[in-house]
This record gives sequence, C-alpha cells and structure tokens, in this order.
Amino acid sequence: MQNKLYDVVVVGSGAGGGTLSARLASLGADVLVLEGGPSINTFTDFNTHGLPFEFPFRHVPLMRAGKPGFDGERSRGLGGKTQLWNAVSLRFSQRDFKGRDHDGAGENWPVDYADIAPYYDRVELEVGVCGNYDHLEDLPDGIFLPPAPFKCTDLAIKQGAATLGVKVIHVRKATLTRKSATRPACHYCGNCMSGCDVAAKYNSYNVHMLPASRAGKLTMQPNSIVYDLPVNDEARVKEVRYFDRETRAEGVARGRVVVVACACAQSVALLLMSKSSRFPNGLANSSGELGKNFIPHITAGFEVFLEDFIGKPPTDDQGFLDHAYIPSFMHTAKREYARSFGVQFNYQNHRMAGWARSVPGMGKAYKEAVKARYPAYMVFTGYHEMLPNAESYIDIDSDDLDSYGLPKPRRFWKLGESDRKLHADMVRWCGAILDASKARIHWAATQPVTNHEVGGCRMGDDPKTSVLDKFCCAHDVPNLYVVDASAFPSSSEKNPTLTIMALASRAADHIADRLQKREV
Amino acid sequence: MSSYSTDRRSLLRIIGSIGATCAFPFASEDLYGQTPDHEHKPAETPLPHFLNERDFKTISRIADLIIPETDTPGAIGAGVPDYIDSLIARNTDHQLVVADGLRWLDAQGGKPFPELSEGQQLAILEPLCAAYDANSDNRARNVQFFGLIKNLTADGYYTSRIGLMDELRYQGNKILASYPECR
Repeated sequence: MQNKLYDVVVVGSGAGGGTLSARLASLGADVLVLEGGPSINTFTDFNTHGLPFEFPFRHVPLMRAGKPGFDGERSRGLGGKTQLWNAVSLRFSQRDFKGRDHDGAGENWPVDYADIAPYYDRVELEVGVCGNYDHLEDLPDGIFLPPAPFKCTDLAIKQGAATLGVKVIHVRKATLTRKSATRPACHYCGNCMSGCDVAAKYNSYNVHMLPASRAGKLTMQPNSIVYDLPVNDEARVKEVRYFDRETRAEGVARGRVVVVACACAQSVALLLMSKSSRFPNGLANSSGELGKNFIPHITAGFEVFLEDFIGKPPTDDQGFLDHAYIPSFMHTAKREYARSFGVQFNYQNHRMAGWARSVPGMGKAYKEAVKARYPAYMVFTGYHEMLPNAESYIDIDSDDLDSYGLPKPRRFWKLGESDRKLHADMVRWCGAILDASKARIHWAATQPVTNHEVGGCRMGDDPKTSVLDKFCCAHDVPNLYVVDASAFPSSSEKNPTLTIMALASRAADHIADRLQKREV
Repeated sequence: MSSYSTDRRSLLRIIGSIGATCAFPFASEDLYGQTPDHEHKPAETPLPHFLNERDFKTISRIADLIIPETDTPGAIGAGVPDYIDSLIARNTDHQLVVADGLRWLDAQGGKPFPELSEGQQLAILEPLCAAYDANSDNRARNVQFFGLIKNLTADGYYTSRIGLMDELRYQGNKILASYPECR
C-alpha cells in the first residue's frame, strides 16, 4: 500500500482538506488524506456536556478519559479545527476580493466574487448554513436554512445599535436549524466549541470525509505527521514523507497531486521545512514571498453586563452560542484608514463564570452582585482586517523544536498606521454601541489581539509577488496546491472558513479537470 | 424588558437533560449521539490536604467570609477550601504567597485568625479587599494574598455544583427541540 500512486494526497483534514478531498472523491479521484492527529469519534470522544464540578480541578477536559486528544499545534485530529470551531460562515464580498481597488491599499485577489459565488453555493448546500436573507451588498446572502431566533440579550444590542444607525443581523453558521437526511438539527445545548457530539454543527470528518470514505474513494490515514515534500527534476512534488505520531515509523505516500491544507501557519511551516537544491528557501518559494503577508484578524474584546438584565431570573439562552452579528458598516463611510471591522458578540457559554473573580467586594454583597450579573453577562468582540506589511510574517525556528523534533512556526505581526487608526475606531464604535445598549463594561482588552490566522502563502497573478495562482496551485510547482487561509491575499473582517471551503472546492474542480486532461 | 415565555404553548420545549447525573432519556444513541460517559467517575477531592490543619482552617474561614452562606451554602458548604488546597498544592508561586500571607495574618490579631471575632476578621480583610479592588496589580504581599484567595474562592465556588446550579441557576446543557423566540 505504501507505494500505491494516489491521484491526490491531501495533507490535513480540516475545513480545506475535508471539503477538497470529498469533492475530488465524488468526481472519481482516488484520494488519500494524511492527518497528523488521531482518529476522533465525534459522537463519543468529546466531553461535550461536561460540567466543571464533575472533574478534578474543575477543569472539563476536551476529550473523555482514554480517548485520543487533539495534541498540540501540528497534530489535531481528523476534522481539524472544524471539530471545535464556532461555525460562523460568512461570504466575502466583491469589496473583500478587491480591497485595493476599493481602498487603494493592500492587495486585490486574482478572483472576483462572481468566480467564487458558485462554490459558496455548493459548499453551503453540502454543509448546511443557517442565516437570514439580509440583502446586504457587503455580506452577500447565501443558500440558507432558517436563522436561529435572536436571544433576548441580542435584542438589547440590536436596539442600542439601531439608535446609532448600526444594523444587527442574524448570525450565519454552518449549524443545522433543520434536520437533514443524515444529521439532526441543533439542540441548542450551548457547548458547540467543546465538540458537537451530534454533528449538527459542521465538521469535515462527519460531513465530508466519512461519507466519501464509505463510498470507497477516500482513504483517511490519521496519526501521520508530514515533514517533507521533496521535488523531482521537473519541480513536481514526488512524494509525501511522514512519520507515525506514535511509533515514529517513517512512511512515504505518492500522489499525482499533493494538496497542503494544514491551517495557515502550519502549512507555511511545512513548505519552509521542505527545502531542496531546487527550492533552497522552502518549497514553491522562488518569489521569496512564502511566510510573508501574514494578516491575522485583529480583535478588541469586551466583557459587559447588560443593565436591563441585571437581577433577572436566568434563562436557558445558550443556543448555539452567538445568534447575532454586526456586519461591517464603516467601509462606505469617509474614514482615515483602509478596510473595516465587524462585531461578534454573545458567544460566551454560561457553564463557567470566570468573570466572577473580578467583581469587586466580598461577603454577601459580593455574592449577590455576581448572581445578579450572571444573566446579564456578555462578551462583545470587534474583528478587523489588517494590511500586509514587512514586519508581519511567519517563519520557522530551527532552534525551537516541538515534541516531534520539527521546528515550530513563529508568528510576527505589527499594525501599521492605517491598522492602528482602524483599531482605534473599532474600539470607539464598540464602546458607543455598548453604551447605547446600556451595557456596562466589566473588562476591556487593552491591546489588539490576533485571532483567525490568514496569509503567508498568498495567491496572485504575478509569480514574483505571490506563491499560488488563482486556483491555489503553486506557481513554481505544478502539482502542488495549498487550500487554507494562508492563500488569502487579504483577510476581510469576516470569518475565513466558508471562503477556505469555497476555494478548496474550486481547487478540487481544477485538480479533477487537470487529472482528466493528464496535465498532472 | 422582554423575556422568554414559559407558556406551555411557546416554542420552547425541553426534551431532555444531559449530564453525568441524568442519562439521555428518550432517543437512541445512534440518532442523537449523546452517549453517556459510563467510564466517568465524578471528581473526588484529593486527600490528605496539602495545607496543615491550622492553615486549612484559616483559609477556609477567609473563603467563607468572601462567599458566605445566604439562602445557598457559602464557600465552606460548597467544598471550596478543598479546591483551594488542591490548587495551592500544585503551584509553588501560590505556596509562597500563601505562606507570607498566613504569617502576616498571624501577626495581626494576637491570636490565630479563626479565633478572632467576625468583626475583627473583617477589619483585617476588608482593607485588603479594597486595596485589591483598587488595583489588582498591587504588589503588597498581603494584598496579593487576599487577591489570590479571593480568585480561588470565586473560581472554586462558581464551578461547584452548589455555586453553578443552586446559586447562579445555570439553565443550559439541555436538549431543546427549537430555540425560543424572545417575547
């Protein structure tokens, strides 16, 4: 089996790898998915419904006792981060794809919204996305299941924001609000990010890879940590070298096409590690752009208490975490910076009340204050885009090795002048919306914080300034694709996963077409 | 202010409750997947205590002054001192702060802290609490000591069954047929 030549070998099994491999398998390609982490049974392995007092030190472990874990940065488990994500699924708009045209800064994508829209359609139909048809130019509608109703606490923000002319919409998530043929509807337990044990929330293992593997064209091989992608004389990846996560036994997989989908920093790290005489600075890096243009989402978080809810009886409003979203509104306004921001809020889980320790006082008054605030507690986090700059990049540290002896990726980021103005304006707007919603700020982040990792392996038309072409195929290596957020030339302020999946699905079609034409 | 209707005809329908204490009542496992974790045993407090009996009593008393008994049990009633002890046992920084704090406390009232009157105890702790609230980065060791015990007390209490279920009345972790409209 080791020497079998697959049509496609995919490294990584999350949103990008899962979507792409299932699509390719459905088109008849023979696909091998190598996943660094262990096999996970979504239905039985997570402590989805654990409560803190059931566990030592009041810590609910992610995995049940004796079950394989998601261990560390490179090795996560079948399904990758889709097992734990919050499922927010937003389409990028034409503005997001053409940010340079719109703002005069940063980069355009080599594609338009119209190029990606059919793949958004396809992915939404495959995974099931709920949402409301809001008819917003900057946040295109998709093919939606009905939205989940707003929480009462969302309505407080909605009313407050409305006084400032700011719109609050239903969140859009890859979580079923109606049952499908194979998955139950969400039961609103509120523990989505602890592993959804019914797969009402999309994960790539149950929704994409498992059905494809049962149909016989997709092979999942967990516990296989890929560390090198050597090339042949024609600058094509000739094999995929990995070792077993447990035994460290080395192995080789061969594919006509190799797809890297390990999540942003890890994909960049794998390519940087794959040095050869042909590519001494890392695979597919003749441009020197690999690792550059790292543009993670930047956040400003708040913890607040809604005055109207202080002292009210607690209700079961966990839902599927956040039910609402504040889409970008500053992109059409006159402003002193490029790009924009959106706000995610009310995504906390009430299983824990970690904020209680920072409520002032002691004694009966303290205890009453915590109890009164419990139903009123909410997190509120603005997300904004940053522009690429020379001081924001990913590299690998040959002196800092992980437990497998592989160099760890390092992230460097620094906000430019425009980004800092955008951040300050986002913080100001968040404060104004909270004030208008009668929300008392309990805690506010004092520094920008990164979230979703984006960039480092960007696509573009010019091989001198980009790593990938518009189909996510490496300019330098005709049988190598990268399908994760590292491919994005700009990040938008919107969550990246739906766009990762749409790009992956599009890359799958491109690969299948080239396989059929015997180009690879 | 709006709230969720409890009207029987409202959309809210609770069809099950999950957790170690309440197995999933109606659906087959392959339909819904919530397999009860039969392997899992509820957490037991590691014994013996890391702190000696005298120090444990002092810490217990402080915790119970921070979260006293009301219509629900206080810190001692919720087993919080055991939690605090287990965290101190695992953290050498905590151990140093606690050792300094206990030594400082002993020098205050002329006799062991638990033997002081409640008024005397509060007269010692309340200024520390005020100083900690004013600046949680206050470097004074006695303020750090109070802050540590308060944090551990709050964490331990609100993650206990009594704190989360009885005091805060956490309502989540249930199986809903649909999400209720806010009315």
